[in-house]
Amino acid sequence: MSWRNCLSVGLAALAMLIAPARAADMPAAATAPERLLVWHAYRAAEERALLQLLAQFNASQSRYRAEALALPYDVYASKLTAAIPSGHGPDLFLFSQERVAVWARAGLLAPLDADGAELAAGFPAASLEALRSAGHLYGLPLSLKCDALYYNRALISTPPSTSDELEREARRLTLASEGRYGLAYEANDFFHHAAWLHGYGGGVFIEPGHRAQLDSSAAVSALEFVRRLALEDQVIPEEPSGTLVAQLFNAGHAAMVINGPWFAGEVQGIDYGIAPLPRITSTGLLAAPLLTVEAALVSARSPVQDGARALARYLVSTEGAAVRARVGRQVVATRSAYALADIGSDPLLSVFREAAEHAVPMDNTPAMLPVWEPEKRALVAALTGAASPKDALAQAQRRLLATTRAAPPSRSPWPYLAAAALLLLGGLAVARRRAPQSNARVQYIARELWRAAAYCAPAATSILVLVLVPFAVGLGLSFFHHDSGHYTFVGLANFIDILASRDYRISEPMSFWFTLAVTLLWTAVNVALHVSIGLGLALLLRDPLLRFKGIYRVLLIIPWAIPNYITALVWKGMFHRQYGAISALFTALHLQPISWFTSFSTAFAANVITNTWLGFPFMMVVALGALQSIPQDLYEAAEVDGASRWAQFRHITLPLLKPALLPAIILGAVWTFNMFNIVYLVSGGEPGGSTDILVSEAYRWAFQRNEQFGFAAAYSTLIFLFLLGWSALSRRLAREPSAGAA
Amino acid sequence: MSDVALRGVHKAFGENQIVRGVDLEVRAGEFTVLVGPSGCGKTTLLRLIAGLESPDRGDILIGGQRVNDAPPRERGVGMVFQSYALYPHMTVRENLAFALRLRATAPAALAQRVAEVAEMLELGPLLERKPKQLSGGQRQRVAIGRAIARRPSVFLFDEPLSNLDAALRVQMRGELARLHQRLGSTMIYVTHDQVEAMTLATRLAVFNQGKLQQHGAPLELYRKPANRFVASFLGSPGMNFLRGRAQGGRLTGVGFSLQLPPAQSALEGRELLAGVRPQALALRAADEPLDAAACAIRGEIEAIERLGTEGFAYLKTAAGPLVARFEGGGAELVVGANAQLAIPPSATLLFDAQSEEACH
Repeated sequence: MSWRNCLSVGLAALAMLIAPARAADMPAAATAPERLLVWHAYRAAEERALLQLLAQFNASQSRYRAEALALPYDVYASKLTAAIPSGHGPDLFLFSQERVAVWARAGLLAPLDADGAELAAGFPAASLEALRSAGHLYGLPLSLKCDALYYNRALISTPPSTSDELEREARRLTLASEGRYGLAYEANDFFHHAAWLHGYGGGVFIEPGHRAQLDSSAAVSALEFVRRLALEDQVIPEEPSGTLVAQLFNAGHAAMVINGPWFAGEVQGIDYGIAPLPRITSTGLLAAPLLTVEAALVSARSPVQDGARALARYLVSTEGAAVRARVGRQVVATRSAYALADIGSDPLLSVFREAAEHAVPMDNTPAMLPVWEPEKRALVAALTGAASPKDALAQAQRRLLATTRAAPPSRSPWPYLAAAALLLLGGLAVARRRAPQSNARVQYIARELWRAAAYCAPAATSILVLVLVPFAVGLGLSFFHHDSGHYTFVGLANFIDILASRDYRISEPMSFWFTLAVTLLWTAVNVALHVSIGLGLALLLRDPLLRFKGIYRVLLIIPWAIPNYITALVWKGMFHRQYGAISALFTALHLQPISWFTSFSTAFAANVITNTWLGFPFMMVVALGALQSIPQDLYEAAEVDGASRWAQFRHITLPLLKPALLPAIILGAVWTFNMFNIVYLVSGGEPGGSTDILVSEAYRWAFQRNEQFGFAAAYSTLIFLFLLGWSALSRRLAREPSAGAA
Repeated sequence: MSDVALRGVHKAFGENQIVRGVDLEVRAGEFTVLVGPSGCGKTTLLRLIAGLESPDRGDILIGGQRVNDAPPRERGVGMVFQSYALYPHMTVRENLAFALRLRATAPAALAQRVAEVAEMLELGPLLERKPKQLSGGQRQRVAIGRAIARRPSVFLFDEPLSNLDAALRVQMRGELARLHQRLGSTMIYVTHDQVEAMTLATRLAVFNQGKLQQHGAPLELYRKPANRFVASFLGSPGMNFLRGRAQGGRLTGVGFSLQLPPAQSALEGRELLAGVRPQALALRAADEPLDAAACAIRGEIEAIERLGTEGFAYLKTAAGPLVARFEGGGAELVVGANAQLAIPPSATLLFDAQSEEACH
């Protein structure tokens, strides 16, 4: 087809497409309503409430038409961050105050000062405070979440109003031998602990400068209080997880629980009451919990900001709040809603609202994010008695400083690019010199090559996209420093920082070398166990006279077949000091149950046990296959020569297994070296991060310590280089003249 | 060297009775060959002697001691396997030394013994090689060397030559014979090849279906087979059999009438088989006059095998298919031509037609 024809066809098509669009723009009988896109991550009752409100909003006016889009919670934040700047995002979105400061600074949020001023009196002060950044208000508060005290009415008639009363009541109702506790709550979670910190007059940040200070005297006092509850009064169960707390309360074995409004949904069959948290006797201050606020936020890039703001105001109006409270069961921030009889007298909503009036808003700046991990470690250390509160918090502060380290100085990328280009050219030159081809031959190869390339293309593309591109990105990322979305080139600074182990001693868990040593130990112990157990079982299964071989083989494959994170979680539950199956076994054998995660050796052993359980089938299968390839008459010849069973194993079985086992061992070593699931889920790095291996440390640097992506990428690159060296080395070791069966 | 005795040995694998009540005496220093068709139990018998299987019933004695419950290493036997079973990951030297190493032999004595064996079997230049770098014949010598190194009292060979090509087989046969002469040990050798059996054995034991058919010197078995099976098993091509009834001093059957030796009057009236080896049959032209005493059978030549200086002719006769040997190139013989066979009565062996036992 000539290009002239193409052009005319193209123009005609374009004209046909434009015409209906123009027709849509033509004014019809009335102007079509402008669309308001609302994003949320609600489900079930809350979603129903929202949809009902949007429908009511649309019915009440014709200028705007609101539409809702539900997103999965885990990708919600990243989708917002990506979509809003590009203009494809929502006009209004519902989110907590967590990232207000970051988004405000990035210019993604429209300030709502005008609306805020008008409506200020209608909300608890703390809720508005949570949504402010740099003096401007960026959202209208929808619902409130903070902790309150749940109590079992059958055990407690009046809830305690001071900490001394709380302690007394809890002690009265605790009988550890029967598994009854006065106070069950996730004591290791800083979110729940924060109330005590505030009660003792402390806080996370000190001004000016808005720095986090974790080891203030108030913090120490608060932690000492909880330590007393946990270790001396023993009113708090050990290793309290959310599931355990719910189970105890529902079984009537926990007299009091500290938790948020969501906990009400998990309670079944217990007559319970809710009260605000008590006052601390020694300071007279309320134990003010942390407040998270869910708000309606307006996108700064929205073309219909007026409409979005109108919708936001509707959602927080009395009418809107009433629907959300009744249908969605939210603890709404709008004060006027509580004037309505049914909402005002609702035991859940009214108590939480009252608690929220005195709550402390959770910080909405990025400075809050790196606080959680060190605090958690400090809580665990203090509550298990591994360290005194003072030492634990001092350690936490040191950790925090290490993770929020100043960015390395930025460098110019040009020297590095030049070096990379030189390397590439050098590599090409070497390759060229190694394989001189005549011109004709090169042309021939090139001609034929495209056919081969076409066949390889699909697989090569997948490998490129799924393996090589992420690898290259990671490698590149390791030369940058990341801070709230900004990347600065810092050359080799990340690598130097990791290897020189500044900020912390080499023997401390956060040092690269310490973690490397732990990882090497972890790999060696695991592989040794996998091979010996796998080989032993294979030898047993090989016996031709063994009955039920098929059943054994299936049973022994199951550990490998179960997804390993399920394995990890199951074993973690079994290792629980009080309720785990292993502790029950110990008790049945009249042994003292072990607290597995309070010392390095036992936590390490717990990880090893779990990983061995799931890892030996692989070695067993490889060994079984290899064993079957050894001819039987070799054993007969050896028997005639005078070899005992053990001598036969040593001189015949082992040497002939080597060609098969060696690759399996190399593979197994690499997999174990990078076994993230088990280490992260079973011991979680406890105690104090000492059982973390390199790969879980890298994860923490990326996602738990201020999003230091460049640093984490450098960690990953080091892991890769290490394993590359290991593969090369082991291949050289394995390269003896191979011993094929005669 | 020791003698080996099997007394009433039975062995079954599952439902199959492999060895049925075998009694065998092997004298010290003898080269005894156990021969028979596939599945006759000879290999099982060897493994029973080695200790790799245990008998269900009966006794096995080595050097006068009952060894039923003794494991192989306590029996003082050395075994050469059909597949050689050399340790593939060890050099030839290490293969030879293996058994001695297991007994914690002193390094000097070990090295000396290895050198001796290597010299005996001409393995010197091969000592540092691995089995996969050796040819079939070389591997076999290493396997023999491995068995020799321990100085066992009894050598057991399980069809060691069956994996070799024909020329090599002939050469190795000679070497084995020389080895036996040099070492003078008791050797028990299993094969299905009756040529090997005949040439190597001091004494021969023929087996069929788990039972010992006959035991004695090879020539004795060849000349005086105890039953039809032994008669037809030894010698190649196999013996010809003519079925008939003894009447009036002659054996008469379809298409033939044979003069019986005078001493056989006791056989009068019985159904008999007359066995004649192809080497004893004279092939004559159809019209050639024959000696009156000879029994002549006419027939048509169906196939001719020419082997150079001799050959075999396969004839279809009224008395059944017969094979006869001829001298020379046999150029004058033609397939389809008529010919006659002359049977000398002195060369026939008589067997009872029912029991197939020899009557001579």
